[in-house]
Amino acid sequence: MAMQGGTALQEKVSRMLSRKHKKPVLKPNKPLVLKDEVANRKIKKGEATCVTEMSMMMACWKQNNFVDTLCSNEMQSFYKCVEKAQIAVKNKSEQHTIGQSGRLQPKQATILLKRYPNLHVEI
Amino acid sequence: MAASVTGLLKPWTPRVLLVRWSRYNPYYLEPEPRKEVYHIPETELTPEQKEERELKSVRPIKAATNSVTSSVFNDPVLSKFVNMMMKDGDKIIAKGIITQTLENMKRKQVEKYHKAPEVKKAEIECNPYVIFHQALENCKPVIGLASIQKGGKFYQVPIPLTDNRRRFLAMKWMITECRDNKHRRTLMYEKLSQELLAAFSKEGNVVKRKHELHKMAESNRAYAHYRWW
Repeated sequence: MAMQGGTALQEKVSRMLSRKHKKPVLKPNKPLVLKDEVANRKIKKGEATCVTEMSMMMACWKQNNFVDTLCSNEMQSFYKCVEKAQIAVKNKSEQHTIGQSGRLQPKQATILLKRYPNLHVEI
Repeated sequence: MAASVTGLLKPWTPRVLLVRWSRYNPYYLEPEPRKEVYHIPETELTPEQKEERELKSVRPIKAATNSVTSSVFNDPVLSKFVNMMMKDGDKIIAKGIITQTLENMKRKQVEKYHKAPEVKKAEIECNPYVIFHQALENCKPVIGLASIQKGGKFYQVPIPLTDNRRRFLAMKWMITECRDNKHRRTLMYEKLSQELLAAFSKEGNVVKRKHELHKMAESNRAYAHYRWW
């Protein structure tokens, strides 16, 4: 099945390269060979965390002329929020690396491809 | 990555065993220098601690570095400060300066204690280690600034800092302030003790620098949404 798929693809590529009927669709300057790696997918850009806590703390600072002792409550809540955010990020990244939901992660795919690379020298 | 490497290398021991290096096979575990952990009797161990002990009995353990001891006087924060003060690997001089600083602080505080009236005597802190830790705490910034590029321009965005980064900044500011902004002929221990005592009472240049960072962050609070983490 893979072989049939492979030959069909090669026929299509050779048709695209040919100059028989009209101008060739493909004019490759490098050989049409896949790389031994997969590009890293961009994670979705997240939101800024703990902005409300930060703004509360800064308002408190503005009121009290940047004296730290009077703003200890806001500072404690800010630290807690930061800790929670860090733990959430860690959990999310862990969940991404372990539970792939049917798909390989790009890093894992690269590791596998590197183990069985394309042959560029005749054996 | 480390987990997969650990899986591959389980039964392997290298022909040349590495001791007292800083790069180890991730299979090796960290050493436990604190004595209190080993004095807990068998019955009072939690299940996680029991599991940890069993794991430690089968896995190899990294050699402890020279700076880590199981004595009462081992202070990781102080050791880090000594390492940051050290120049050209001369730990003896750096440790000597810190010892002199602590002695100097104690002398000054004891002098203040004996000169103070009876009412105020209880408030004066004489333990130099307590003073050092409190001064460092007072110098730690709460938020930092990061240079983030958006639309071709760079903005100073207020970001939360990790505990390690805050401690590092406090120590760095203390050391640079003592090295650069003091009179040329005063010795380092004298400069450090003055600055630490000032930071303990929330005065002095380092605390001022921290407040200036806070003010900058406060003035740039509109850009806080440029963060994406």
